[in-house]
Amino acid sequence: MTASRGRPHGYRDRRERRRPLARAVKRGRWFAPALVVALALALAFLTLPVVAIFVRTSPGNLIGALDDPGVLDALWLSLRTTLLALAIIVLVGTPAAYLLATRTFRGHALVVTLVELPLVLPPAVAGVGLLAALGPAGIVGGYIADTGVRLALETAGVVVALTFVAAPFFIRGAQTAFAAVDRSWLEASRTLGASEARTFARIAIPAAAPGMLAGLALAWGRAVGEFGATLIFAGSFRGRTQTAPLAIYERLGTDFDAALALSAVLVVVSGTLLLSAKLLGGQGTETLRAAR
Amino acid sequence: MLRVEARTTLPSRAGGASPGFTLDAVLEAPAGTCLALAGPSGAGKSTLLRIAAGLLRPAHGRVECGGEVWLDTATDRELAPEQRRCGYVFQDYALFGHMAVWQNVAYGLRGVARAERRRRAEELLERFGIGALADARPRTLSGGERQRVALARALAPAPRALLLDEPLSALDARTRASASRELAGVLRDSGVPALLVTHDFTEAAVLGDRVAVIDGGRIVQQGTAGELAASPASAFVADFTGAVVLTGVAHAGPGDVTIVELDGGGTATSTDRRTGPVALSVHPWEIALQPAGEHIEGSMQNRLEAEVLTVTQVGNRVRVGLAAPQPLVAEITAAALGGLHLAPGVRVAATWKATATRLVSL
Amino acid sequence: MRGCLLLALLLTIILALGIAGCGSSGDDGDGDDVLVSAATSLKSAFTSYGDQFDDAEARFSFAGSDELAAQIRSGAKPDVFAAANTKLPDELFAKGLVERPQTFATNRLVLAVPADEAKVEAIEDLTKPGVTIAIGSEGVPIGAYTRKVLDRLGAAERKAILANVRSEEPDVGGIAAKLGQGAADAGFLYVTDVAATNGRLKAIELDAALQPEVSYGVAIVKGASHRKAAQAFVAGLLDGAGVAALKQAGFGLPRIPIRER
Repeated sequence: MTASRGRPHGYRDRRERRRPLARAVKRGRWFAPALVVALALALAFLTLPVVAIFVRTSPGNLIGALDDPGVLDALWLSLRTTLLALAIIVLVGTPAAYLLATRTFRGHALVVTLVELPLVLPPAVAGVGLLAALGPAGIVGGYIADTGVRLALETAGVVVALTFVAAPFFIRGAQTAFAAVDRSWLEASRTLGASEARTFARIAIPAAAPGMLAGLALAWGRAVGEFGATLIFAGSFRGRTQTAPLAIYERLGTDFDAALALSAVLVVVSGTLLLSAKLLGGQGTETLRAAR
Repeated sequence: MLRVEARTTLPSRAGGASPGFTLDAVLEAPAGTCLALAGPSGAGKSTLLRIAAGLLRPAHGRVECGGEVWLDTATDRELAPEQRRCGYVFQDYALFGHMAVWQNVAYGLRGVARAERRRRAEELLERFGIGALADARPRTLSGGERQRVALARALAPAPRALLLDEPLSALDARTRASASRELAGVLRDSGVPALLVTHDFTEAAVLGDRVAVIDGGRIVQQGTAGELAASPASAFVADFTGAVVLTGVAHAGPGDVTIVELDGGGTATSTDRRTGPVALSVHPWEIALQPAGEHIEGSMQNRLEAEVLTVTQVGNRVRVGLAAPQPLVAEITAAALGGLHLAPGVRVAATWKATATRLVSL
Repeated sequence: MRGCLLLALLLTIILALGIAGCGSSGDDGDGDDVLVSAATSLKSAFTSYGDQFDDAEARFSFAGSDELAAQIRSGAKPDVFAAANTKLPDELFAKGLVERPQTFATNRLVLAVPADEAKVEAIEDLTKPGVTIAIGSEGVPIGAYTRKVLDRLGAAERKAILANVRSEEPDVGGIAAKLGQGAADAGFLYVTDVAATNGRLKAIELDAALQPEVSYGVAIVKGASHRKAAQAFVAGLLDGAGVAALKQAGFGLPRIPIRER
C-alpha cells in the first residue's frame, strides 16, 4: 500500500477501507461496479414479472381461484400427464443417452442434432408436426388409429406432446452426465467381472445420477409449461387435455384474476423444480470431482 | 503364465504431426513373477496392457493365460473383459466414488452372500493395513490409501493375472518408496503372473523380476534389470536405464557430508543429507575406472573396489558391468577402455564424486 | 441394485396409473363425453349450456375457429364443431369432414374500449395518431369480419386505422385480454364478448351500414365417437336449453329458418 504525501500511513487506509466502491471509482477502477450494475439490471428485469404475479394476487384470490373445479382439473391433469411423460422419457431416454455418450459412430453428430431438434422447434410447429405424424390422417397416425388407439384430442395426446418437447432436455443432460463419468470406472467394472449391462446399472447410472436428475428437473419444468404443441395436437378440453398453461390462457380475457392465481401456482412449482435442479446438479458435480 | 502377443497399428497421438506407428510385441510372464514393461510415453505400453485385459482388440494378436486362450484373432476367439479373470489396477485407481471402500473391494465377488462379501473385503483390507477405512468414501482417502484399495479390489476376485498401469506414478515421492516395497511384496505373494507398465526404469527394476524396454511399439530388449543396465542393446536402452542404484545405511560424517555403509560392504560419501536406510544412485557416466591398487589421496572421490563382470560396447561408449559387491555399471569412452585392459574377472577401482551421489530415504 | 429396483418399481407404478388415467378419460363408451370444439366467443354461452346438458358430459375446447378447423382438417375428430362463421363449417363440409352445417346464432360486431377510458369514443377516433388497436388475425372469423368493416369505410380511413393496429390476435380472448390490461386502446369484438367481461369493457355500436353479417355455424364431425350425444347437443342448441343460453349471452337467433330438425 503506497503512502500518500505527508499523511501517516494507517490513517488513509482506515478511511478508504470504509468506502471501497468510492475508492475504486476514484482510482478509475470502474469495471467491478459496472458488473454489479449489469447484474442488478438483469435481476430486476427477470424477476419483475414474477413479483408482479404475486403482488397482484391477493391470498384471498389465490384460494378462491383454487376453488374453481376447472383450475383443480387443470392442475391434476398437468401433474398426471407430466409424470407419465417423464416416466416414458426416463425409460427410453436413459439407455439412448448412454449409447450417445459412450460410443461414437458415423453420423453421431447428426443423431445428436436430431434428438435435440425439438428444443429449437417453435411449439406451434411441434404441434403441427405431431398432428401431421400422429393425427388420424397422419403418416403413422393412420396405423395407430386402426388399432383403436386415439391420440389427437385425448389425454394420451397430451402425454405425447409433452414427451416430444421435454425429452431433449433430459437426453442432453443425461448424455452429458454419462460422458462425464470416468471411462476408467466403466473399464474397471468390466475387468472386475461385470457385463456391460451390469456396469450400466451399477456404475454408470449412479455416477451420472445427479446430472440426470438435473436434466429431469428441467424436462419436467418444460413439460409443465408446455402450451403450443398441446393446444394444437390435443386441444384444450377441460379435464381431458386442458393443462394448467392452457387453463391460464383460457381465463386471460374473461377472468384475469384466475389467470394470475393459476400463474402464481405454476411459478411456485417451476421455481421449486429449477431450484432442485441447481442443487442436485451442483451437489453431484462436487461428489464426482472429489472422488477423483 | 501370461502371454501377450499383438501386432496392430496405433493412431498417432495429439494432432498427428507424426504418423501412427505399428505395435508389434510379444511378452511372457511366468506364474508368480512380474514382468515390468518400461518405456517412454506413447510407446504402446498401456495399449499392450489393455489388449491383455480385453479393453482393446488388436488387428492381430493372441492372449493366453494359464492355458486358457483369452484372445486369438486367427481363430476369431475373443473373451469379453468380464470373462477374463484378470485384476487391473488403473493409473488413477478408478475407485467408484459412490460406493464405500469395502463395496469397492467386494465389487468383483460374485455369487457370494452380502455378509460374506463384506467379511472377505474387510479381511483383505486388513491385510493391506487399511481395515479401518472399510466404510470410508474414496474421496476422503490419501493417495497411498487409494492405491492400496485399488490393489485390494483387483486381488479380491482371485484373478488369474495381474495388470498394473503405472501403479506408483500417482503417488508423491515420499509415499512412493514405501508403496514400492509393499507392492513388490504383494506381487511376490500373489502367485499369479503380473504385467506392470511404467515409464520409470528404476521402478521397473525394483518391482519386476524381468524388465522389457519398449520404444515405438517394439520391444527393444528384455532381461533382468541388471542385464539391461550392464549390457544395453542400444544407446536408447543405455540412456533409458539411467542411474545405478545401491542400498545402504547413512549417517552424518565429518565435514558435513553423509557416509553410507553399503549393503554387502564398502562405503560411499554423498553431499545429500540423509540418515537411515537409503538408496544411493549415481549415473554410470559419472563413474571413472582406475586400475585397482592406485589410490588418489585427499579428494572427495568415492572409491569402490570391484570385479569386472561384463564389457559391452554401445557405439563409441562402453558399458562395464561390475560387482562391488552390489552390481554397479560404469560408462567410459572406448578410448579409455583401451588403456585399462578390461575383461571379465579383472579387478578395478570405480571412482566418482560425492557431489554426483544422490540419496533417497527408504 | 436395490436403488435400481426401487426406481423401476416407481416408474412402473406411474406408468400403470397413467395408462389407467388415460383410459378412464378416453373411451368410456359412447354417451359419457361429448367433445365440442367451439369458437372462443361462445365460451360463456356454451359453458352455461353445457352445465344443463344431461345427455353426456360436455367437454369444450375454445380457440379461434380457424385453428379448430385446421385441427379437424389434420384429422382430429371432436364430436361437434361450432364456428363464429358459416364459411369454415361449409369448407369442412365440402371436404367431407363434417355433416351438413346449420346456422344456430348471429352476433354483432362492436368497437370495444376499456370502460374507464375516454380516448376512443367513436370509430373516427381510431384514425388519430397514437391510438393503439387490437384486432383478430386474418384467418380467424373476428379478424375477417373486422376487415369487412374496414373495407366499408373509405380507403384513407382504412389505411389510417390499419396503421394503428398493434396486434393481430388468434381469437377474441386475446383481444379482450389486451384491452382488459390496458395494452391497447380499442379493439373489435363481438357484443357478446363485451357482455362477458362484466363491465370491464364497454361497447361502442357501429353504424348499421358497416355491420357485416355474422352467422355462427355448427356441424357434427364425421366419424365422431359420440354421435348420439353430438346430435342431442346440436338439437338443444337449435331448439332447446342452448337457445336460452345463447340469448342470455347476447347472441341473436338465426334470421333464416332452421333447415333441419
